[in-house]
Order: sequence, then C-alpha cells, then structure tokens
Amino acid sequence: MKCNTVHNKLIFFLEKELPVSEMEQVQKHLGECSECARFATEMKNTLQFLDNDKVNDENPFFYTRVKERLSKQAEEQPAVRPFLVRILQPVAFSMLLLLGIYGGFKLGQVPKITTADTNMTEQEVIPYWNELEAEPIEAFLME
Amino acid sequence: MSDTDIIEQLKQGSEAAFKTLVDTHQKLVVNTCYGLVQNREDAEDIAQDVFVEVYRNIDKFRADAKLSTWLYRIAVNRSLNHIRDNKKRKWFHSFEDEVANKRREAMQVSTSNTDEPEYELENQQRAIILREAINSLPQNQKVAFTLSKYEELSYQEIAEVMDLSVSSVESLLFRAKKGLQKKLYKCYKKKCL
Repeated sequence: MKCNTVHNKLIFFLEKELPVSEMEQVQKHLGECSECARFATEMKNTLQFLDNDKVNDENPFFYTRVKERLSKQAEEQPAVRPFLVRILQPVAFSMLLLLGIYGGFKLGQVPKITTADTNMTEQEVIPYWNELEAEPIEAFLME
Repeated sequence: MSDTDIIEQLKQGSEAAFKTLVDTHQKLVVNTCYGLVQNREDAEDIAQDVFVEVYRNIDKFRADAKLSTWLYRIAVNRSLNHIRDNKKRKWFHSFEDEVANKRREAMQVSTSNTDEPEYELENQQRAIILREAINSLPQNQKVAFTLSKYEELSYQEIAEVMDLSVSSVESLLFRAKKGLQKKLYKCYKKKCL
C-alpha cells in the first residue's frame, strides 16, 4: 500500500471502519513507514480530543434559568389587540400609502402650457431680461 | 416517568412534568448545542431557548414522534441560527475582539489541572485545530458529524433528526471524515499539528 492511499484511509482505519483486509494492510504499512506512523499518531491524538470534549456536568441552576426566561417572555409579550385595531390599522396605513403615491404622481406631472401662452410670455419677459435687444447700444449712446 | 407521560402531563400544563423534562434531557440538548457552537455559555443559552420553545409548542408535538428526535431537531436548528447570526455580527467585530475570543476559547479547552503545561498547551492547540477543521465543514456534514461524535447517535437516528435517508447520512459522514482528514493532513504538513 502506498503512503497516499494510507493517508486517504487513515481516519477510517482509526475509526475501525475499514474491511479486515484493508485494516491489515494499513497496519502493515504503518509498521514499515515511520512518516505515516507519525501522522497516524498525531491524528489519533487529535481525534481523541473529541471523546473528552463533551458536556458531562449539569448546571444545577439550568431549570431556574429556563423558568426565568419563560416568565420574562410572558411579560414581554404584548396583550392581544382588539379585532378592530388589527383590521383598521393596516387599512388606514394602506390608504395613507395610496394617498401618498397618488399625491406623488400629481406633483410629478408636467403642467400643460399651450404654445401661444409660451410665446406671449417670452415676448413679455425678454425686454426686461435682455435690455440690449429692446434698446441697441447705438440708440442709447445717441441719446 | 416515560416520555409519553411527560408529554401528556405537559400538555395539561403540569410544571412538575416540565421540570422532569428539563432535568432528564438537559445534557442531551446542551451537548448537541455545544458540539455545534463550541462554546459552553452559548450552548446553555441556546439550550434554554430550546426548552422554552418545547414548552410553548408542546401542543404541536406529534404523539408518534420521539421526544428526543424533536429535541435534537430544535437544538440543531437553534444552534445553526446562532452560528449564522454570529457570522453576521463578526463583520462588525474588531480584530482585537476576535483575538480575545480565541484566547477565551483556548482557555475553555483546558479543563483538567495538570503539572505539564507543555502537554496542556499542545492539547489546547490540537483542540483549536480540530474545532477549526470541524467548523470549516459544510453545514450538513457538520451536523451529521456532531450528532455522531458528540451524541453517539446511530445512522438511523441521525437520519431521523436530519430528515434524510440512512444512505445520505452515511455519505455525509464519509465526506465529513474525508474533509477532516484532508484538513488535518494539510495542517500536519505545515507543522501546525
């Protein structure tokens, strides 16, 4: 058996989950290869930690804490809301939301202005806005 | 008192039955949570929530199901939620917090008083490496592995808890062990083992 094969089967060898023939082959290889044997020992020591890493003692105050948590949650729970509030509240919020959306659309709409109106506004505004167009500089100097 | 009696009495609101349930199954729940979250305080905290959930939802418990299977399921789900929430919280943690947590975890690993500090240090390092390797496994593999190693459940029992077929559990455990072996070998090559 090659070292690579042994590495792939080592965890199953340590857990005794390999067929008998393979167990013997791995065992034989570990007897001959010091590097694989060292890795096997390291792996065994590491995995052994799982056997001791368990909660074996019980917390004597555990039940008291569970009870405390239960009563705390019962206090925090809000009282049952009346039926009308449960129905009316969402309806009112929905209406407000729809009203808001409608208002938004209304505000966002471009005001309709006819072309004639626009022209008139331009003619009325330009003289004040652009004096040069209304009174050329020559005419101003001549005066 | 059998599990069926406990359930029946609990459904009638018996506090004594609830105490019996908590006392008899405390270790099972805490150990399962501990296997997944790897922290004793967090495990006890989650276990308390598990019993609160059992108390609140006892009416939903099906008579044909096993109480322990139900407890394992709730414990696993709660622990996984805790891990997920912790991951989110870690985004906001500073590096110093992380180091402090690691140190606290390392201190927790050591449970026995020994006169050989070097041996103890080596053990702590081994434990951290193993935990890191288990934590890096995909969620389903991690759950199956934890139930198998920490609770020593059979394939059939794990399949019931995880709602999978026995062959799926076999496959999950096989892949989990392969993954663990690969990670430990990498670590061994880098001389961190």
